[in-house]
Amino acid sequence: MTPVNIVLDAGPDGFNDDKDEAKRIRENTIIPTLAADDCVVLDFSEVKSSTQSFVHALVGEALQRFKEPALEKIQFKNCTPLMKGLVQLVVDYSLGGFRIEGHEPTEEGAVELQMPEPPRLRARPRRRLRK
Amino acid sequence: VWRVRESQSSVPELKIPNDATIRTLRNFLSVNTPFLQPETNAILRLHKNWAYMDPMALAITAAWGGWCLRNGKQVEVVGDPGPHTNYAARMRLFQHLDVGYTIPIKEHEEAGRFMPLRRVSTTAELSAVIGDVSALLHLDSEPDGLAAIRYCVSELVRNVLEHSQSPEGAYVCAQRYFDKEPKRVTIAVADCGIGIQGHLGRVYPQALTDGLAALRLAMQPGITGAQKGMYGAPDNAGAGLFITRAIAKATGGYFVLLSGSAAFRLKRCANSSEPQILIDPFEETESNRWKLGTEWKGTVAATEIMTDKISNFPGLFEWIRKQLPAQRTVSKRIRFV
Repeated sequence: MTPVNIVLDAGPDGFNDDKDEAKRIRENTIIPTLAADDCVVLDFSEVKSSTQSFVHALVGEALQRFKEPALEKIQFKNCTPLMKGLVQLVVDYSLGGFRIEGHEPTEEGAVELQMPEPPRLRARPRRRLRK
Repeated sequence: VWRVRESQSSVPELKIPNDATIRTLRNFLSVNTPFLQPETNAILRLHKNWAYMDPMALAITAAWGGWCLRNGKQVEVVGDPGPHTNYAARMRLFQHLDVGYTIPIKEHEEAGRFMPLRRVSTTAELSAVIGDVSALLHLDSEPDGLAAIRYCVSELVRNVLEHSQSPEGAYVCAQRYFDKEPKRVTIAVADCGIGIQGHLGRVYPQALTDGLAALRLAMQPGITGAQKGMYGAPDNAGAGLFITRAIAKATGGYFVLLSGSAAFRLKRCANSSEPQILIDPFEETESNRWKLGTEWKGTVAATEIMTDKISNFPGLFEWIRKQLPAQRTVSKRIRFV
């Protein structure tokens, strides 16, 4: 089947951080398409830069739901170097999580957070007054 | 309303010292009791020789003014307006406080200097601010610096819109310093919403009782109050403050986060050949944190981007990505076409 092609809006000066739009695309197109075992092409030709939050809102849930096979179903087209970096970041943590000491993910992805004791605040050394 | 009156300890009051900046943040906040709730108006007390408020102090004051107006308190400004207050007037502080400014000021051209205070309560207003960042700061000659600033403004303001429950939304402003070293842009975003403790405390109980613990959590990647887990909710991953802090650190600028009873400040530092961003902000050696004498009802975030240190924002972002400890690297399988 022909992949579903989505051309993302440019946003102001090619900066698209519209998470509402990302959510609409995710819910209305990306998730249903992947659920039907079809492919999606996300075309970033108009978007020169964005934020991690935008890319997360766009594809984070799809990656977490469909796991690594989703990477075979989503193509990222015409990405600038920055957009590539954002996509790589979101893909890595969506499929791998953040490895942080004291945060042990359970199978569901939830964690019981055990905060280490914060380092003690050090008293400021008193300044010597010059005579 | 501009008046001269004595200080009253029972009145909500914000005193502005003669140098209210990120550098003097600790002193600035320690002398204030801005959120008292008696049936009185509120006072903004200006230092008689007031020299300077930076964007952080301006955003704090404007957000406080929004809180006052929400609670039916008219803001009275104590101290004489004069040349020393004209900068704040140009930044439209008094307009946001609903206080008339009688002195005629010469409106400097905004372009190339500053982005005046804006109140942002919708994503459409945020888009307008993002457009203004490009138009008003005139960073055309530094496109990578501009990209970093837009990134930080977007993430910081969205945090307020999505998490703060602030009826007024966010107050944001920026100043470009281009005629003396270090060349930089300071961005500040403030609100009087539920604060980081109120947001994260729904999921992390220790955040509810310990303001510093709440800040520490908020600045680590993968922590969001939307749900417990390291992968975030569909709309949030909890990495925005971490990345904003990393951008500031990579360029050697300040990063400040304060909320409720606690404040954290990453200090300016000279760029090392191999800078490293630490996941736990409290392990940063060039930082300090403290408990506030008076709680701030909401959140303030400010950052300083040394724009002339950013010649390759995608490269800087790649550096940030490599600092993040992803458990597995699967990005090689991404299909870029």
